[in-house]
Amino acid sequence: MGAKRETKEKEKKWEPKILAFLCRWCSYAGADLTGSSRTSYPPNVRILRVPCSGRVNPLFILKTLRSGMDGVLVSGCHPGDCHYTAGNYNARRKFAILARLLEYVGIDPRRVQFSWVSASEGDKFAKVVSKVVADVQALGPNELFRLPQGGQTAKGAASAHE
Amino acid sequence: MSAPIPEIKKDDLVGLVKSLFQEGRVAHFLAYQKGTVKFKTTPLIAHKEEDLQGLVVDDFFHSNLALYLKEIKGRVGILTKGCDSRSLVSLIKEGQVKREDLYIVGIPCPGQIDPKRVAAAASCAIEELEEINRRGQEIVIRVSGQEKTLPKIQALMEKCLACHYPQPLIFDALLSGDYVAPVSPITRFPDDLRPKPIAEKWAFWSGQFERCIRCYACRNVCPACFCPRCLVEENMPQWVSPLPSKGDNFVFHLMRLMHVAGTCVSCGECERVCPMEIPLMKLNEKMAEDLRELFDFVAGVDLDKALPFRTYRQEDPDDFIK
Repeated sequence: MGAKRETKEKEKKWEPKILAFLCRWCSYAGADLTGSSRTSYPPNVRILRVPCSGRVNPLFILKTLRSGMDGVLVSGCHPGDCHYTAGNYNARRKFAILARLLEYVGIDPRRVQFSWVSASEGDKFAKVVSKVVADVQALGPNELFRLPQGGQTAKGAASAHE
Repeated sequence: MSAPIPEIKKDDLVGLVKSLFQEGRVAHFLAYQKGTVKFKTTPLIAHKEEDLQGLVVDDFFHSNLALYLKEIKGRVGILTKGCDSRSLVSLIKEGQVKREDLYIVGIPCPGQIDPKRVAAAASCAIEELEEINRRGQEIVIRVSGQEKTLPKIQALMEKCLACHYPQPLIFDALLSGDYVAPVSPITRFPDDLRPKPIAEKWAFWSGQFERCIRCYACRNVCPACFCPRCLVEENMPQWVSPLPSKGDNFVFHLMRLMHVAGTCVSCGECERVCPMEIPLMKLNEKMAEDLRELFDFVAGVDLDKALPFRTYRQEDPDDFIK
């Protein structure tokens, strides 16, 4: 990264980047409704459509944090509404354990949030996103894996190779 | 407490295994033999009666023999402590081994002795220890010709102190009648990290993740880690870089946990083999407690209870979902 670009980025006000995993049947349609009903919500969220909240491997969430995204939102159908009958029930068990483990290793639960948003809940989607963005804004940027200034570690050596 | 404890006799075990071989009930037998280092045993894989010569019976059965079942085909006999028997239950539930292929010889476990802790309690180096013996509830050691007695709580492996299942849960034969429950005033694995503020938790764990050299000893020794291709070795997509870094180590360790959720029986092998002495048992125990609390599931105890991620209940807790 050039020095010029770095200063430019510093001048810009920091805005959180959130990755949202939205289930194809409910939350994604919900987000669509938010847009088509002209409700505005913070633009910090990048939406990734998944077939079902059950498709969200805990690995995706960890990898998102590791890649430097400031927050993660996972959203699916309300319990009982899953298009595949039980995808969200199964997902819920995995997320319950993952959420507790993340808290235990010291990652603020506000960085990784879960919600149920149905296709008719356009307003709820806007509210959920606003809340996640506000929470992450309060937490500040994700510097969990940032290297100390000038520090050379294996990671540094790795990127030098690339 | 003062009642004499029937000890496991080596001859009983050897006799039993010999008869198993003669009757053709097993093709291989897994037990322990003397290690190359003092106070250590190493796994013994016997294929015929003569192989049993090196077999030992002592209080240093540290390793979990369930690990080797992955690589051995056919009818296998296996010597099993309480914690290993839970691993067996888990592996049977996961479809990794068949119950009918196993002949399980249970040993009632009095708790295994950790030479490191003994040395620390006797404030000497491990090399200076000449002898370690168990006499009932006490451990008698000899350092530079002098005998010392230690209470069990100072000598056993930490995981044994919090063990709830010293008696094997499944077996075809059980050696000697009685077993000794470990003297355990600790009902839970001690962890003072849990009540601490979140920033301190990250300070602790990020330091631990940073130290990991990703030798994968923890993965390789784990009976519950049996994916034919581990996610850390996948390269399309490449989830984690093979080079150790705090971030990738974090992903690796948490995914390792998620993968063994419900199968991990806290046998403590990962922590024992870690060359960097990362306290992995803290993570395992934390997850075990969460599984118990959230889903009323204890790993490796009940053959008929579905694994936690293979089932669900409509009333599962979801207060964390908005």
